[in-house]
Amino acid sequence: MAAAALRPAILRHIRLSPAMAAPLVGATAAGQPLALARWLARPMSSHDAHLTRDEVVDRVLDVIKCHPKVDPSKVTPEAHFEKDLGLDSLDTVEVVMAIEEEFKLEIPDLEADKINSLPLAIEYVANHPMAG
Amino acid sequence: MSTTAGYLARRAGQKERVRLLYRRALKDTLNWAVHRHLFYQDASELRDKFEANRNVENLDVIDRLIEDAEAQQRNFQHPDPYIVPWAPGGTKFTRNPPPPEGIEIIYNYGKEDQ
Repeated sequence: MAAAALRPAILRHIRLSPAMAAPLVGATAAGQPLALARWLARPMSSHDAHLTRDEVVDRVLDVIKCHPKVDPSKVTPEAHFEKDLGLDSLDTVEVVMAIEEEFKLEIPDLEADKINSLPLAIEYVANHPMAG
Repeated sequence: MSTTAGYLARRAGQKERVRLLYRRALKDTLNWAVHRHLFYQDASELRDKFEANRNVENLDVIDRLIEDAEAQQRNFQHPDPYIVPWAPGGTKFTRNPPPPEGIEIIYNYGKEDQ
């Protein structure tokens, strides 16, 4: 709302080439434009708008696929770390920590200990107000 | 029967303690590492220390090992650990909080007619 009001005021002073302006307008595309649009919506704030669920799923899957002991072809949004991906409990700890770093989160130890599958991880990140 | 249940319960408790210990130790390793590439080496050494005792079966021995490792972890904790900015103790904690719901900024307040 405030962003919509601010927009013409900013645009009066800034000249954007059409090529640059296009991704800002069509912010539905994945990745960079979304992040930029989120940042423009509330500049310098430590509180971003929520991530979309699709983006959370994508990024969580990417993190899991990058773990050296995981076979990327087995990674699905429904997979269980130990049963489906063949990780042991310590690997699970590592994976959860990697997800934490990816989304700049700090998950309390006892809650992180309960995250043992991809649906739980996605659920936790998607519902976290500070996930970035 | 009760001994089996007791054994399993104690074993589950030990597994949880080990997971928490590994998590704390891994975070601490990251805190101590000045660069990311140093962390990878330290982390794999930490993992090797845990793997060395993977096949220990005696419950009392496991308890002792966990206690030793927890004591060691306490002794070598980082004095100034990394805290995510928004978390309590972080650099942005309670800074620039979002405005309450339902607040609208009126830019031409008092000059609506002009």
